[in-house]
Amino acid sequence: MASEGDDAPLVGRTGTLTSIQADLAAIGPGGTAAVFVTGESGVGKTRLLRETAEAMREAGAAVLYGACLDIGDASPLHPVLQALRQAGAHPGPGSPDASDGAGALLERVSHQLQTLAQGRQLLLVLDDLQWADRSTRQLLLYLLAGLGEINLSVLAAVRSESLHGSHPLRRVLAELRRLRSVRVLDLAPLDREATAELVAAIAGNDVVSEDADRVFKRSGGNPFVAEELARDLRDGRVELSDTLREIFLSRVDELPPHAHEVVHAVAAGVEPVEHALLARVLPLGETELIEAIRAAVAHRFVTSANDGYRLRHRVVAEVLEHEVLPAEHAARHRRYAEAIEAAPGDNDHARLVRHWQQAGEPVRALPSVIAAARAAEELYGFTEAYRYWALALSLTPEDDSARTALLGYTAESAHRCGEHQRALTTLEQLAARPDAPSKCQLHLRRARYLAAAGRAATAETEYELVLAADECTPREKATAAANLAELLVHLGRYADAGDRAREALELADGTEDSTADLVRASAALGFSLAFLQDPDAGLAIVRQAVEIAERSGHPEDIGVAYQHLAELLTNPLSSVEEGVLVARRGAEKLAAIGQGRSYQTRLLAIAANGLFRVGQWGEARKVLDDAMRHRPSGADAVDILLARCRLWVGFGEIEAANRDLDAVATILAGGGARHVLPMLTLRAGLAMWQGRHADARAAVQRGLTETRSDDLVLLGVLAWHGLRAEAEAQAGGEVPVDPAAVRRLRSIVERMARGVGDAAPQVRAVVDAYLDLCAAETSRIEQRSDPELWARSASAWDRRGQPYPAAYSRLRQAEASFARRVRKAAATMAIREAYATAQAMGAKPFAAEIVQIAGRARVTLVEAPGSAVVPERGTDELSLLTEREREVLAAVAEGLTNREIGQSLFISERTVGVHVGHIFDKLQVRTRVQASRVYLGAA
Amino acid sequence: MITESSVWGPVQRDMADVLAGHPDDVPSVVDQLTRLQDVLTHVPPLMGSNPLADFNKLYLTITTSVLERLYAGQFADPAFLSRLDVEFAARYFDALRQWSDMSAGCPRSWMVLFHRIPGPDARPLPSAAAGINAHINYDLPFALVTTLDFQGCDPVDDSDQHRDYLQINDIFAEQIPGLRRGFLEKWQLLIDMMNGDLDDWWQGEVVEYTRNVAWRNAQRLWAVRHDLQAVSQERTRLDRTAESLGKLLLSPMGAILQ
Repeated sequence: MASEGDDAPLVGRTGTLTSIQADLAAIGPGGTAAVFVTGESGVGKTRLLRETAEAMREAGAAVLYGACLDIGDASPLHPVLQALRQAGAHPGPGSPDASDGAGALLERVSHQLQTLAQGRQLLLVLDDLQWADRSTRQLLLYLLAGLGEINLSVLAAVRSESLHGSHPLRRVLAELRRLRSVRVLDLAPLDREATAELVAAIAGNDVVSEDADRVFKRSGGNPFVAEELARDLRDGRVELSDTLREIFLSRVDELPPHAHEVVHAVAAGVEPVEHALLARVLPLGETELIEAIRAAVAHRFVTSANDGYRLRHRVVAEVLEHEVLPAEHAARHRRYAEAIEAAPGDNDHARLVRHWQQAGEPVRALPSVIAAARAAEELYGFTEAYRYWALALSLTPEDDSARTALLGYTAESAHRCGEHQRALTTLEQLAARPDAPSKCQLHLRRARYLAAAGRAATAETEYELVLAADECTPREKATAAANLAELLVHLGRYADAGDRAREALELADGTEDSTADLVRASAALGFSLAFLQDPDAGLAIVRQAVEIAERSGHPEDIGVAYQHLAELLTNPLSSVEEGVLVARRGAEKLAAIGQGRSYQTRLLAIAANGLFRVGQWGEARKVLDDAMRHRPSGADAVDILLARCRLWVGFGEIEAANRDLDAVATILAGGGARHVLPMLTLRAGLAMWQGRHADARAAVQRGLTETRSDDLVLLGVLAWHGLRAEAEAQAGGEVPVDPAAVRRLRSIVERMARGVGDAAPQVRAVVDAYLDLCAAETSRIEQRSDPELWARSASAWDRRGQPYPAAYSRLRQAEASFARRVRKAAATMAIREAYATAQAMGAKPFAAEIVQIAGRARVTLVEAPGSAVVPERGTDELSLLTEREREVLAAVAEGLTNREIGQSLFISERTVGVHVGHIFDKLQVRTRVQASRVYLGAA
Repeated sequence: MITESSVWGPVQRDMADVLAGHPDDVPSVVDQLTRLQDVLTHVPPLMGSNPLADFNKLYLTITTSVLERLYAGQFADPAFLSRLDVEFAARYFDALRQWSDMSAGCPRSWMVLFHRIPGPDARPLPSAAAGINAHINYDLPFALVTTLDFQGCDPVDDSDQHRDYLQINDIFAEQIPGLRRGFLEKWQLLIDMMNGDLDDWWQGEVVEYTRNVAWRNAQRLWAVRHDLQAVSQERTRLDRTAESLGKLLLSPMGAILQ
């Protein structure tokens, strides 16, 4: 059937078309590219999308096409699922893993995209993206960040009118446009010449130039309007219409009556309107109907494709909407609703809801509204689900008993999609119902919602109400006390947290199904004790929580318990190595059950960050590769990407680091403030290695404006990066030092020094180490780099067990000594030690700088070449072991005791014990002698 | 592109260069406003005394104060306040871009002021006030909604974010009397002196009143932010209100108030 045959030629866009194709083909290192075309309606976005898609399809790309709907509440992921269905795939819900179902869904969609691509370049075209739901936006960012691991280009159109207010895409595009692989193209109207060309193409070359000028003035260069005006000229309409409305209304009047009906029906429908549906909506015989459709197509109102009919342009629907009588409008939608209900198979609930609403009979939509809410939840579209639940609620009268349950669902879905305020007000309505849940249940829920909204004080009150009420069961009280304890830990009120946690443990003791509370309370108690300086007792309790969780076998409890234990060890206790071991073991346990993948990712992130800190970068990289295989999404993915990027920066892998930073920025474009600051410090670090000191300075400055004044550790990191950037600028001589920036950084350092006295001891130790670094770095900016200050910083970081900043300080210590020509022997030792550390970590740019400075000072870095031979890594049984485990095993084989091994490797005896346990597991041996035999056999 | 006659005359190119930037943190917002100020003082025929330059200067001073407070750690939720400042400024830059492109999308509340750039000469106080009116009454509620949405928190009274937001009132209060004295030296010294402290009262009221209204409007927008149609209606309403107020400020009435 004739559909898009008589299009006017594409005028004035040839250059744009070529550059869009080039941008889409230029897939960046992240494997993705995107072009977002913005412009007013009628400016030709859809046309550009279609032409590009055709050209790329001809060039051998796999092209998927989806359009977003303006029906207010579409179902989650609508345009992408629609595109997949059209291409013959069958996406849909269904996942056994409750802890990361959303991630699994994203992975499944990417997998289907990949299958459809069959090795070709994949182009996903999305029209009218301003109407996309939140889930679609998240999916898009997931794909563009490369998390689906598919090479993909995205071409999307956005109406610029929608971007003006507070549309979420506005922010998304503002962030994305900074990336190298994304282009936001603002499609301007045609200029006078191009408009004249278009007019001539339609109305012939004999159009007088005054007429062409009139078209240009009336249309403002909008090609859609200009095209229609040119048709008026061609058809001999003397007076050009003034507005789009007039153009279309006169055209509609010319339609044969049945075709007129077809246009109105398609305008009222949800596109694409299938032929079968249209046949049920319009009371016409088959021949009449087809004839009418033909006329509507011939008059350029409707286009026809395999999947159904669409209006040539949505503007037509907007024009027609005002011309239809309310009764007519309602009748048309009622016919749609009835036709959809009468159709065999599953109803399209989102569609049905819209039609009943527009028909003025929203109550009849209720079953569909509820079905649509459930369907949205299955697709993890909580925002969409919430809106459906809220709609269902508005359709249910006060005295209907179903209202109570609906209030419950609405509140919970509002909570899950972050509508905290709505969740709370809905909960109050629920509380006022005669058949409301018990007071205790309501307090617990209110507290949970309040805590999620960041309103800790009021949440605390709610939990206390549960604990004080006689009617609450021990189980409810245990939950309240455990959650409250956790909240208090976050607030840093460790003593109170400890009290509540003990209370929770007492209450939970002997209560059925209280594993989650036990785990939560034990973790809170453990942290509180650790911060109140009884780390051993704290550790014992959290270990016990792990045992309880493992006995319960519930993946979420296991994940939470291991996460707490690993965090406790790596952070407040600084037993980084053991924390790493615990985190990896937890991840292995969950992997064995085959569930809780979100927790696996988090545990691996903890392990990788710990390994980075203690300088085992090669091992950290392995862990991160593992974690990426879990296909993380959202915040979990950002954690992993940031950890990996930190490694790339250290290794000097600039391109990979940039790629991961871009991926992080892509995901963060969808929202979330927590990760911005780590991203900025990495940006600064990377810029410094590349000699882009001004960029490093800018990243630090932004970081300083966005950091809370009580976050001393973060201020320390930023201040050091900032001072180091200025010092490097000073040394490099190409970028001038910014005295204002230095002044600001020094006042930050002063603030840290003032605040550090009140900090918890664990925080204090870190901040002190940063203060040492900052003091030394300041001396370097002032061109009096002081070896003493650097030596002090080196030993501070040695005490923290962080070899990288320690080695950095040693390098500077040596450099300063060489410059002052003092204590050359100590300096030589320091620089050699720094070099050994850098080599062991694989920190290439750092090692290169050491070599350079040593060269200038004529110092040889390796005493006797060949003395530190790295054993060849075989494919034998030992390859299962980590580097650290191999070191421990070597010592075991020498016959050393755990204590002796601990002393020689600078780790605790307990950690050695854990390593030995792992070695036994991996080598499948039961004694030290057997383990030694394996080692000696392999060596 | 329709560029038959440029709205910025000889500084068209400079203006395009400045507006090509999309600042993403407060230091670069200050930087962009500084560069903009320089370009604006070269727009003929009024040069440094054009009404937009009057507004821009005030806005630059205020944003600089915000930046200083951020560096000094004076906000409870600096990440929120920084984003808000960036989002807020982005809307002013957008309006300028739309004006430069002669786009139909340019908010009317801003056009009231932009139309006065070529003259007739307006007095600095009403001009700056007209800009503040458009920026606060029209831009601010949307900037608030975008920022809160991005940060994942609601517009709740007495929250950290609300208190930080209200600190900006103090900055306005601090800046305006000082600026007035600055203006006095350059502009119509006599007339201003005759009017005494009426100015302070009037300026202070406008800002404080409209800023509270902006927070309330943001709360209203928040409730309907997923409904594109409702948001667009609200946008038109706010634009019209701000437009009328702007017209009043730039009319002889504005001068009488002064």
